[in-house]
Amino acid sequence: MDPMTFILITQLVHGLAYGMLLFLVAAGLSLIFGMMDILNLSHAYFFMLAAYIGYTIAGMTNFWVALLLAPLVVVALGMVIERFMLRKIHPFGHIPELVLTIGIGLIIMEFCKAVWGTQSLMLQTPEILSGLLNIGVFRYPLYRAFIIFFAVAMMILMGILFYKTRFGTIVRAATADADMVNALGINVPLVYTVFFGFGTWLAGLAGVVVAPFLSVFPGLADQVGFDAFVVVVMGGLGSMSGAFVGAILIGLLNSFGIQFLPTAAPLLTFGLMALVLSIKPTGLFGVRQ
Amino acid sequence: MAEKKLFFNLCLTLSLMAALVLLPHGGFAQEVNSSFNPSEMSDMSDFDPNNFQQPEGDTIKLGYMQIMSGAAASNGELFWPIVTWAAHDINKRGGILVDGKKKKIEIVTGDTQGKPEAAKKETERLCLEEKVDVLWGTSGSHLAKVIADVAKKYKVPFMNCLALSDELMDEKNFNRYTFRTLSNTTQWNMAMAYYFSKRPETRFSILCQDYMYGHSMAGAFKKHLKKLKPEVEFVSEDYHQLWLKDFAPYLTKIMATNPEVLYTADWLPDGDNLAKQVRNMGLELPIANIYITLRETLKALGVDGTENLINGYCFMSGDTPQTEAQAKLMKAWHEQWKTWKAPYDSDTYAWPEVVLGSTLNDTYWLFDVIKRAGSTDPEKIIEVWEGDVFQSIQGIRTMRADDHQAVYDMYISDYTYPTKEVYPGALYSEGFAGPGEIITVPQKYCTPPVPEGLKGRAE
Repeated sequence: MDPMTFILITQLVHGLAYGMLLFLVAAGLSLIFGMMDILNLSHAYFFMLAAYIGYTIAGMTNFWVALLLAPLVVVALGMVIERFMLRKIHPFGHIPELVLTIGIGLIIMEFCKAVWGTQSLMLQTPEILSGLLNIGVFRYPLYRAFIIFFAVAMMILMGILFYKTRFGTIVRAATADADMVNALGINVPLVYTVFFGFGTWLAGLAGVVVAPFLSVFPGLADQVGFDAFVVVVMGGLGSMSGAFVGAILIGLLNSFGIQFLPTAAPLLTFGLMALVLSIKPTGLFGVRQ
Repeated sequence: MAEKKLFFNLCLTLSLMAALVLLPHGGFAQEVNSSFNPSEMSDMSDFDPNNFQQPEGDTIKLGYMQIMSGAAASNGELFWPIVTWAAHDINKRGGILVDGKKKKIEIVTGDTQGKPEAAKKETERLCLEEKVDVLWGTSGSHLAKVIADVAKKYKVPFMNCLALSDELMDEKNFNRYTFRTLSNTTQWNMAMAYYFSKRPETRFSILCQDYMYGHSMAGAFKKHLKKLKPEVEFVSEDYHQLWLKDFAPYLTKIMATNPEVLYTADWLPDGDNLAKQVRNMGLELPIANIYITLRETLKALGVDGTENLINGYCFMSGDTPQTEAQAKLMKAWHEQWKTWKAPYDSDTYAWPEVVLGSTLNDTYWLFDVIKRAGSTDPEKIIEVWEGDVFQSIQGIRTMRADDHQAVYDMYISDYTYPTKEVYPGALYSEGFAGPGEIITVPQKYCTPPVPEGLKGRAE
């Protein structure tokens, strides 16, 4: 393989890995907005909280136990917040929701600082995912490959959940006409609470997965959350396919931008977002509300 | 690999020794004005950074200017045990005799929030409302610049022990009230260039943060290494945005140029993430760095990840204290650290090393200057500090009178594993490499020039 082909393939895979990482964070945010019409700006803080909790659990047990348990903790928190806070202010529109979720985010950040301090914490890559994947002459970090496979698996799981299960049918029906579903005897508020919990579970998974990749520190939510928000806006608020495509586009733009236009690389993401929104204001896969 | 490393360290040590022998007799013999005396150190067994006992009454007020909130609040947390340790020690000695009265050290916190406007407001509050006697800080050259400007306006001495940029103390920005105890960009890179001029590597890649500091560090390194080793090649040079998430695209680009050393001046969290991702990509090349030193990070990188980290700083002991004072301090600190609660129970605080050690050293110097000034009058402090020669915990530190830049020997180490016990029962590190043999780069080889417009200013 000639060196340039090798570089191009490697950058392509880097783009996919980073895009999939963003997708994991963005998916929950997009789902919650799409299905529940809640713009949850604390989403990235749930992600960060899971990373911290995952760090602690992994320290006591191992990465896999952390991946199982830490997201459940943020699910519980997310469900409580939806049931006792967001549900009450949802009828008053997006502004109170934004203020509330920003406030929740700040409380989570201060909580993390109080419990774990402010220093960067690092979770070691699990032993089984350390090292390099060798495919012929191509060597690639196993953990980055794991992120790609994990995100694709989550995408498939979400597809099955929403299109092949009764729960998915109910959620989609409730999104289309909540009153009708309620009239059929289904407890729609409970469905929403569970669904919000599912969205935060995705954030929690992303938090634990990102911990061996990046350091865990109080700026983690801002560091990754902003890119995730761009993915959701560009893909179309509420569209899972949009989040998936948007995340891959940003990932690829990032890696090829660094390779060929390093000085402009940080601007490319925003340039693409501006271009997409100027042509299609609802985002790539968004629909007019 | 270990033999190769030993061989080069030996060559370097011998060449440095030879250089010292060949120096003109008395050329660098310095008469010290004062010294850190380890025998005067208090019993610190009651020190707790979570519960610092602020003295009451008439005190010497130290304004601790740091990022205490927001995403970069780690900076404020990191140095809190440092200032409180030194203040506690001095307070237990009864304080400092100033203006005919023994006064203890009180610490007043100013939160820069990492933002220039907040730094300005907080420094003004500390100067005007709290009436602090001295200012201590700060992470971020852009913030140090703001603090220095306010310090000048209200005539409050400011010890800059954390911001590196040369520009802070150039002709344009110099002010009489600011003293920089940390090395500047040129100084650090002269030392690093000197070190690498003695090593065999000739192909270097540069990856730094994309703002003034990153460019300034890389520029100085290139300039000084090229001067000492003309055959050197900088095979790639990249600057990344702050708080970068994914370094892999840069690393692939860098790998294609086949470098022998990766140079980075990244600070947290970029430095940590970079080191982690370099090793995860299977790259084992040496990483020349300034801030990949926090022990929590090193622990996560493990033995393989930390071997071949090459760190330079103005304070370094590793597992072998370089002076009696350093040995005593390290033991007292480490024993006490075992009793601290979160967040100070983390491994990051286990030893007063590198950036922690350097700021502790500087804080003791500041208190010693006040003691010798016998006053908190800024003019008297300036008079003592300008041209001062201080035998510090590690090495002699000279505060140049003309530009208020401290100059001294620098220390560089290629991290190795295993490390030894610092004293019986206290292993320096387990599961990760630490500073191996400490190479001292004499002051002669890392003294930056006094800015042209400031030459002779103090005469």
